[in-house]
Amino acid sequence: MLSLNNVEVVYDRVFLAIKGVSLEVPEGGMVALLGANGAGKSTTLKTISGLLKPERGEVTRGEVWFKGQNIAGLPAPERVRLGIAHVLEGRRVFEHLTPDENLVAATSMHRDRRRIGALKEMVYDYFPRLKERRSVKAGYLSGGEQQMLAIGRALMTEPKLLMLDEPSLGLAPYLVEEIFGIIQRLHRDGVGILLVEQNAAAALDVVTDAYLIENGRVVMSGKAEALKQNPDIQEFYLGGSGKKDYHAVKHYRRRKRWLA
Amino acid sequence: MDVVYFIELAVNGALVGLMYALVALGIVLVFKSSGVANLAQGALAMVGAYVVWWLGSATGAPLWAVIPLGVIAMFFFGRGLERVALRRMVGQPVIMIIMLTLGLEILLRGLAPALWGTLLKRMDIGISQQPLFLGDILVNRAYLVGGAVALVLIALSLLFFNSRQGVVLRAVSDDQIAAWAVGIRVERAISLSWGFAGIAATAAGVLWGSVQGIDWTLSLLLIKALAVAILGGLDSIAGVLVAGIAVGVLESVIPGYVDPLVGGGTRDVVASAVILLTILVRPFGLFGREQIERI
Ligand SMILES: Nc1ncnc2c1ncn2[C@@H]1O[C@H](COP(=O)(O)OP(=O)(O)O)[C@@H](O)[C@H]1O
Ligand SMILES: [Mg+2]
Repeated sequence: MLSLNNVEVVYDRVFLAIKGVSLEVPEGGMVALLGANGAGKSTTLKTISGLLKPERGEVTRGEVWFKGQNIAGLPAPERVRLGIAHVLEGRRVFEHLTPDENLVAATSMHRDRRRIGALKEMVYDYFPRLKERRSVKAGYLSGGEQQMLAIGRALMTEPKLLMLDEPSLGLAPYLVEEIFGIIQRLHRDGVGILLVEQNAAAALDVVTDAYLIENGRVVMSGKAEALKQNPDIQEFYLGGSGKKDYHAVKHYRRRKRWLA
Repeated sequence: MDVVYFIELAVNGALVGLMYALVALGIVLVFKSSGVANLAQGALAMVGAYVVWWLGSATGAPLWAVIPLGVIAMFFFGRGLERVALRRMVGQPVIMIIMLTLGLEILLRGLAPALWGTLLKRMDIGISQQPLFLGDILVNRAYLVGGAVALVLIALSLLFFNSRQGVVLRAVSDDQIAAWAVGIRVERAISLSWGFAGIAATAAGVLWGSVQGIDWTLSLLLIKALAVAILGGLDSIAGVLVAGIAVGVLESVIPGYVDPLVGGGTRDVVASAVILLTILVRPFGLFGREQIERI
């Protein structure tokens, strides 16, 4: 359904943020994109959703295919209409709007009022807590509620591919569990998922496939099960066995430099 | 103290204030959807008045009949300004965008008289000059019509911002990038708000033009409109209504009592005093949305 082909992105015409990223999300797939802070995860998602332009970013090489169409030149709102939804890092709800209005704001592609009502009911069915808080200003919701609203708002566009940028960021463990549970439910209901996480342990438990990105390059990819067994991943992303082996860190740094 | 005199000043002041509110409405409409302070609104009002006058003299039709045409033309003129000038500024610092709108204001102030002549043009839209007494109070008919038109347009704006399209515009002003991410055509939404600003400007320009005639000084309404918009809170339609009446009443009552004592000239001080005091004491105005602190 989605495939990135050797994509390179430059910010401000000088800063090379991702360097030849290729990845695939199959129809209805459940894929994670993992990596440390600054690795290029958000840049990759913005490349797909078309949100580089307001940040003065530009795709300088490679192709982005979605459902058999090269979408690299399309403005963001048109990509949403094709079925790509991007839940931004840091939630970014419309703070001065109520949850209800946040949902309505995401319906500019729909003509039919009854359909909008039905979509709202669907979102409130996924997130009953939002329904209780539907008329409070979204800026006053808790972090978890805002994350639910950000996801619910994206669902109003009826995505075929839902991309989530660090939905677990800053949330208590029980909320992370709840949100990941809902992501799994969405996947079962047929929505393709591309999940960006620093929290690799939580992500690898729910996805089927994953890519690991370092310094703007994909350095590893495969089935979630296989990645979980990989010693490097265990050591640096899953917290390892607990003790930090200094020698291994040096070795890994060297390897990374070679890869870069 | 003569109560009738006071009420007369207050009523006429309130009506004038509603017309200020109409100019301010254009500032608020743009701010509410793009977060940009539109300093070109005074010149837009002036251009709107010129356009209606020109349509009248070119077709020979009575002015009231060509007002709808002028309103439509100015809707597209507002959108055009956004399209050729403001849209290039996406991602630029807000201060640059504000400077751009100020540049447009200055440009239009020079351009319109150059195009249509600098002589004061009379603008008769068919409002009778006969004095109108409501009880003991003498009311200016032009002000009465102006206040009524302003009220209607403000009410329509209130309704609009609670409609689906209006919610979309408010979302854009909250977070443009998030708006793009949920499929909102942000440029189109902002362009629409400039179109509305053009409509409000034309209504205000025509009403004021019918009171004082048309020349470049119509654009000085910008100062009054800024006072109203800032006092009201820049992004609040209800604020425009209340602040408009407040500024109008102050501007009428204060000179009514103080001018005879100091020899005149206090009227023009009121608006600037309102601007300064609001910014110093309550920067987000009476009804402006507060910065929401994360809890
Ligand atoms: N708008 C921007 N302008 C310039 N550089 C940016 C911008 N956004 C991100 N970067 C840089 O690009 C690199 C990748 O960032 P990002 O994609 O946000 O990483 P991640 O989401 O994995 O933390 C970082 O070095 C970051 O500093
Ligand atoms: Mg990121």
